Amino acid sequence: MGDRLQIPRSFSRFFFAIMVLCLVTSPLISTSSQSFATDLDGRPFDPFRAAQGKVVVLIFVRTDCPVSNRYAPTIQQLSTQIGDKAAFFLVYPSKKENSETIRKHDRDFGYALAALRDPRHILVKQSQAQITPEAAVFDANRRLVYHGRIDNLYEDFGHARKRATTHELADAIEAAIAGKTLTANATPAVGCYISDLE
Amino acid sequence: MTIVPQKVFRTSLPLACVVLLAIAFGGRTPAQQKPTAQNAAQQSPVTFNRDIATILYRTCARCHRPGEAGPFSLLTYADTKSHARQIAAVTKNRFMPPWLPEEGALKFADELRLSEDEIARIQAWVEQGTAEGNPADLPPMLKFVEGWQLGKPDVIVKATKPYALPASGSDHYWNFVFRTPVDRTRWLKAMEIRPGDKRLVHHANVLVDRQQNGRRLEAEPGAGFAGMELTIESEVFDPDSHFLFWKPGSIPYVEPDGMALRLDKDTDLILNTHLQPSGKPETIQPTLGLYFTDKPATKHPILLQLENDRLLDIPAGERHFVVTDEFTLPVDVDLLAIYPHAHYLGKDLQAIAKFPDGRSETLIHIPDWNLNWQAVYRYAQPVKLTKGTTISMKFVYDNSDDNVRNPNSPPQRVVAGNRAVDEMAHLWLQVLPENSASAKTDPRAEILEAMARHNLQKNPKDFEAHYNLAALLMGRGEVAEAIAHFSEANRIRPNEPTVNNAFGAALLAAGRTEESVPHLTAALNARPDYFDARYNLGNALASLGDFRGALAQFQAAVRINPGDANAEANLGSAFAEIGDPKQAKLHYQRALQLNPNHELARENLQQLGREPSPR
Repeated sequence: MGDRLQIPRSFSRFFFAIMVLCLVTSPLISTSSQSFATDLDGRPFDPFRAAQGKVVVLIFVRTDCPVSNRYAPTIQQLSTQIGDKAAFFLVYPSKKENSETIRKHDRDFGYALAALRDPRHILVKQSQAQITPEAAVFDANRRLVYHGRIDNLYEDFGHARKRATTHELADAIEAAIAGKTLTANATPAVGCYISDLE
Repeated sequence: MTIVPQKVFRTSLPLACVVLLAIAFGGRTPAQQKPTAQNAAQQSPVTFNRDIATILYRTCARCHRPGEAGPFSLLTYADTKSHARQIAAVTKNRFMPPWLPEEGALKFADELRLSEDEIARIQAWVEQGTAEGNPADLPPMLKFVEGWQLGKPDVIVKATKPYALPASGSDHYWNFVFRTPVDRTRWLKAMEIRPGDKRLVHHANVLVDRQQNGRRLEAEPGAGFAGMELTIESEVFDPDSHFLFWKPGSIPYVEPDGMALRLDKDTDLILNTHLQPSGKPETIQPTLGLYFTDKPATKHPILLQLENDRLLDIPAGERHFVVTDEFTLPVDVDLLAIYPHAHYLGKDLQAIAKFPDGRSETLIHIPDWNLNWQAVYRYAQPVKLTKGTTISMKFVYDNSDDNVRNPNSPPQRVVAGNRAVDEMAHLWLQVLPENSASAKTDPRAEILEAMARHNLQKNPKDFEAHYNLAALLMGRGEVAEAIAHFSEANRIRPNEPTVNNAFGAALLAAGRTEESVPHLTAALNARPDYFDARYNLGNALASLGDFRGALAQFQAAVRINPGDANAEANLGSAFAEIGDPKQAKLHYQRALQLNPNHELARENLQQLGREPSPR
């Protein structure tokens, strides 16, 4: 593996057991402010509340972004692999992509994950997400522990590897589940800019 | 009485194995808009309507519109705004629009390159907040032709079976065989390749398969077959070659008058596609639309290939591996189009012409090769290359981890081959030899001979070069030298039926009849229904006085091809020789039915009437 492909990363030497004090956390965002993500039925939806103190993985995607579409099998496979140790959500940040479009897209691409709409970019901001596809990992305390690319399949537009050789998202999820702290907690992603949707 | 069998030797005049032949790349813009010349930095604020729409119309909209290859449309302000930063990023690093050649003195038709000013204008537009601007500034919306771009084709053929492309994985290469789309000889002036879902097909080539080679590679008829690179053999001197190429945004290329491509009733077309998984399972079932003309070809372009695959042995980790080749033109030609080809390790691809007067010109330079955007580049004007001009190619490869496209991680030693993980160093040039009425020889043959001799210099064991050179020499009547090269080709591939037949025929022509028999027999052992070899062996045996043996061969030949007058006439002669005038007469008459002007059959028939029956 080439030097420049390696992601500098070190784990802290001491592990802290994180005690979950209350299983039912209060809603992070007040529903009265009109600032919330919704499920595909248009109901306000807080993934952290739904996740019940689990590690939360948000994957920002867009139906018309070819890079994010090409990742569909990888995303679905990873979520199956992690199983119920973490809660996965697909997040669609575009105002223009309605529930119907998203449902059809998820069927076509074989997604079996819960999908959310985030037209007001509430989750986008919490995750510091800039690109689709981009992932955000929150530990059980809702702390953002990783955001960025899923893996290094794409080095740049038009510069794709035959297969990825580093797997930042999978590593981050495993670390979060194990309660480890990541030092390098952001790796830029390649894809379509979320800010274009504002 | 002796009735001499007609001494017509059948040899295949092969024009070799041609990899990745045909191609036609098009792409004229539906409407040309002149970009405003002002410097973007001085213009403020930049607006979509005044400054950006023209750029999109010229370079983006051909693919970025509904039904085309682009993943989203870029026709309107709203379309464009919702991808604005992405557009700024991909135009700045010149990923879009996809155009690999560096700007040079020679211009290509339909260059898709953005100017520095256009790139700066897009950057400024995004930085300034993507203003829409005055509606009056917006140029009129482009008008696109719906459906077949050149109107309804004369013939439409669809792939027999679709190909199922899996949701994930790396690139796939699949070949569709279109069976004999014409029922008689037609002249093809254009072809629209509809690859199916344009978002999945990165590019596609059509290869003209006159010997139905492709069918033999299918597991079942119509199934198609896998493979990135194809070798198509042609057994007739038929070097006319066209690029029939599709890439996203292509508009079918219409050949100028006199440059149509001949399609015969037994010609197959093979569509070689490069497919990229989309994330969901897909099926691809391409269609071809064929457009004919009544005007047969009068100009005969051929494809030249520079290559040096033999030198491709790239150590793991090597960042700068250079492969070169040079070829000096034996005649004057017009260079029409160029197609450089390497796989994933290719980095910098260049071709230069050095003229006899010492001048030199870059024919193409691709500083950041990307297989995914490979294309045939047609020159805006034919490039005159005089006799004695040396064309040289220099391809640089990067087999280190720095090359993200490297299919091997960690890098491994890579050599030449047809698979995506192998490498290639090919440069194809479509040239039109200048036709001079005074020339005694076909200039195409001169070029091909020079090419074959050049290839033998590079590699004395080059099977195709020996074979092609021998066939060309035979065509000129230089039998002794032809035999030497057939013999070499035969040594390299002892079981190749085509070579054994041609070699046998050459020996026969040189009067070395006894030596010809084992080669013709070997050809028939490999391919019992090989008409030419049956006919030649019949002649060889007749010359040796084995008329019964000859008879059996001519009978078999007539069964394989009942329409051949020469075989019928010789069968008649063999019957006459063994003392069966009744059968002899019958076959002479058949020969005359097939060809009323068959002199030999007529003379032999008259002779038969005059002579008393030998028994």
